[in-house]
Amino acid sequence: MNVEVVLTALLTAAMAGSIPLMLAAVGEAIGERAGLLNLGIEGVILVSGLAAFWLVLETQSLGLGLACGAVTGLICGLGFGVLATRGRADQIVLGLGMTMAGLGGTAFVFREVWGSQQPLLSIRSWRPLDSLLDWIPVIGPALGQQRWPVFAAWFLVIGLSSAIRRSKFGLQMRAAGEFPLGLEASGASVEGVRIAAAALAGTLSGLGGAYLTTVELGFFSPGVSVGTGFMAVAVAMLGQRNLLRVALFSLGFGMLTGLDTALQLANVDARPEFLRMIPYLAIVLTLVLLGRDAKSPAALGQVYRGLAGRR
Amino acid sequence: MPDPHGHWRAVINSLATPILAVILATGVCSVALLLVGHNPLAAWQALIQRAFLRPAGVQEMLVAAAPLLLAGVAVAVAARAGLWNIGIDGQVLVGALAAAWVGTTLEGTPRILLWAVVLVTGVIGGLAWVAIPALLRARFGTNEIVTTIMFNYVALSLTSWLVKGPLRDDTIVAPQTAAIPPTDRLPLLANTRVHAGVILALVVWGVVTWWLHRSTAGFDIKATGENPRAAIHALIPVGLVSAGALLASGALAGLVGAGDILSTKGTFQAEWNPGYGLTAFALVFLARKNFLALLPAALFLGLLSYGADVMPRAAGVPSAFFAFYEGVILIVLAVFAWQPWHRKQML
Repeated sequence: MNVEVVLTALLTAAMAGSIPLMLAAVGEAIGERAGLLNLGIEGVILVSGLAAFWLVLETQSLGLGLACGAVTGLICGLGFGVLATRGRADQIVLGLGMTMAGLGGTAFVFREVWGSQQPLLSIRSWRPLDSLLDWIPVIGPALGQQRWPVFAAWFLVIGLSSAIRRSKFGLQMRAAGEFPLGLEASGASVEGVRIAAAALAGTLSGLGGAYLTTVELGFFSPGVSVGTGFMAVAVAMLGQRNLLRVALFSLGFGMLTGLDTALQLANVDARPEFLRMIPYLAIVLTLVLLGRDAKSPAALGQVYRGLAGRR
Repeated sequence: MPDPHGHWRAVINSLATPILAVILATGVCSVALLLVGHNPLAAWQALIQRAFLRPAGVQEMLVAAAPLLLAGVAVAVAARAGLWNIGIDGQVLVGALAAAWVGTTLEGTPRILLWAVVLVTGVIGGLAWVAIPALLRARFGTNEIVTTIMFNYVALSLTSWLVKGPLRDDTIVAPQTAAIPPTDRLPLLANTRVHAGVILALVVWGVVTWWLHRSTAGFDIKATGENPRAAIHALIPVGLVSAGALLASGALAGLVGAGDILSTKGTFQAEWNPGYGLTAFALVFLARKNFLALLPAALFLGLLSYGADVMPRAAGVPSAFFAFYEGVILIVLAVFAWQPWHRKQML
C-alpha cells in the first residue's frame, strides 16, 4: 500500500467533489448574511443540474451547460428573494417547498423526457495544470487532475469574497442581515439588497448543480444531490458566513465524501453504507464543537416590515 | 370597536387560505402538465374517477392518509413548541426497521401482545433517532433543523446496511427483513382494504390534540413556542419542554414506521423510504397548524399519495408529479401566510 497514492486520490476526489457543496454553501452564506435562510437550495441544485445536463447533452458544450445552470439558479434565487421579501413568505416553509418542488419536478421531467433510460455525458474538458506540478508530492498530481471548472469556481469564490468585503454592496448586505432598519434609514432598500443577495446565492447554487451533473458525474438521476443543499446550510453556519472559511470547510467535508475511493485504493474493506454516513455525522459533530459560539445575523429568517411598521 | 363577527371571519379566513392555495397550485401544476405534453383535464379527471368512483379508491385513500395524519401530528407537536423536526423521514425509517426486526422474532406470540410490542418498539426507534438532536438542542442549543436533516441521511445508510447485512432474510433474493405473516398484521375492517392502523391513527390524533389543548404540559409547549422569554419568566423549563416536544415528535414518527410495517408493508425492504417528512410539512401548513384541520388536510394529501400510486398506469403521469404538486402547494402557502386581503387586521 502506497500512502502517497492514497493521499493523492483522496485529495483529488475532495477537490473535484467538494465544488457543488462549496458553491452552494458560499451562496447560502451570502444569502444568510443578508438575512435570508434558504432551505430550498437542494431544489435549486437539482433544477439547475437537470437544465445544465439537458443542454450539454444537446449541444455537447460544457460552457453553455454551466451558463444555463447559472441562469436557472439565478431565476430560482430571484424567485426566492422576491417571495421572501415582497411576498413576505415564511422562509423555512418557502425553502422546504422549493426543495420538494425541485425534487419532484426534476424527477417528473426526467421520467417524462428519458423514461427509464439513463443517458451519459462524455465531455472531455481541459485540465489546466495537467502534469505541470507533478514534482510536488500529493498536491501536484491532485491539482493536475482537476478540470478547469474547479479552478474557475475557486477564483469565483475568492473574487466574490474580496469584492463583498470591500464593496458598498457587501456592507449593505451585512446591514440587511444585522440591522435592516439602519439600512433603510441610510436610504437603501432592504428588499432590493436582499433580492440581489438571493439572486447571487441562487446563481452560485445553480453553478454548483450544473457542475455536479455535467462535470463531476456526467449523468442525472432523481435526487442525485443527496442532501448537498442541506449540507450547504450547515456549512454556511459552521463557516460563520465568512466566504473563504465556508469554502475551506467545504473542501474538508469533500475530503470525507472522497473517502470511499481512497479507501478502495488502500484496500481497506469498509462498507459503503458506513462511508456514506461519515460526512453527515461529521457535520453534526462539528456543529456541536464549533457552533456554540457561532452567532447568526440578528435579522436572519425574519420578514422586514419597514420603518415604523408600515405596509 | 370589537368586531362581533370576528370569530366567523377567522374561521372563513382559515378555510379560504388553504383552499385558494390548493386551487392556485393546481393551476400552476396543470400548466406544468400541459408543458410536458399531458392533458391536465384528463389527468385530474382520471384521478377523481379512480379515487371516488370506485369503493377501493376511497379505501386506499384512507389507508394512505393514516401515516400522513400521524406524521403531520408529529411535525405539528414540534412546531407548536417553535421547533422544526425535518427529520421525520429518518425517524420513520429507524422506527420501522426496529419494528420489523422485533416483529419477526416474536412469531407465535398472541397477536394483541405482538402488535403492542411492535408498535412500542417503533416508538422507541423513533425516540432513539430524535434523542441526539433533542439532546444537542437542549444541552448546546445546536440548531435542530440541520441536525434532524443530517440524521435523515444517516438513517438511510444505516437501515440500508442493516437490511443488507445483519438483519437480512437470506431466503429471499431481494435484500429485506423476514416478513411478518399477514395473519399477524393489523386486521382489515369488514372486508375492506382499510386496516386497524387507520383507527389507531385517528385515536392517536385525537389523544394528542386533546392532550396539547387540555393539559399543563400542552400549555407549557404552547407557551414555549409562542414566546420563550415570557415562558422563562413564568418558570417554565423551556429547554426541557423543547426537548420533550422534539422527543414526542420523534416518537410519533417512529409509530408511523411501525404502523406501516404492521399493516401495508410487513417487511422492511432495503432502500425503502416513504418520504413522509416533507409531505407532513405540506399537511401542517395546509392545516395552518390547527390540529383539528389536520384531518381534512391528511385526507387531501392521502388522495394525492393514492394518485402517485395509480396515476402512472391510469394516465401515464409519473408519480414524482405529485411531489412537485405538494411542493408548489407549500410555496403558495408560504406566500399566503401574508394575507394581502387582511391588511387592516394586521395593523
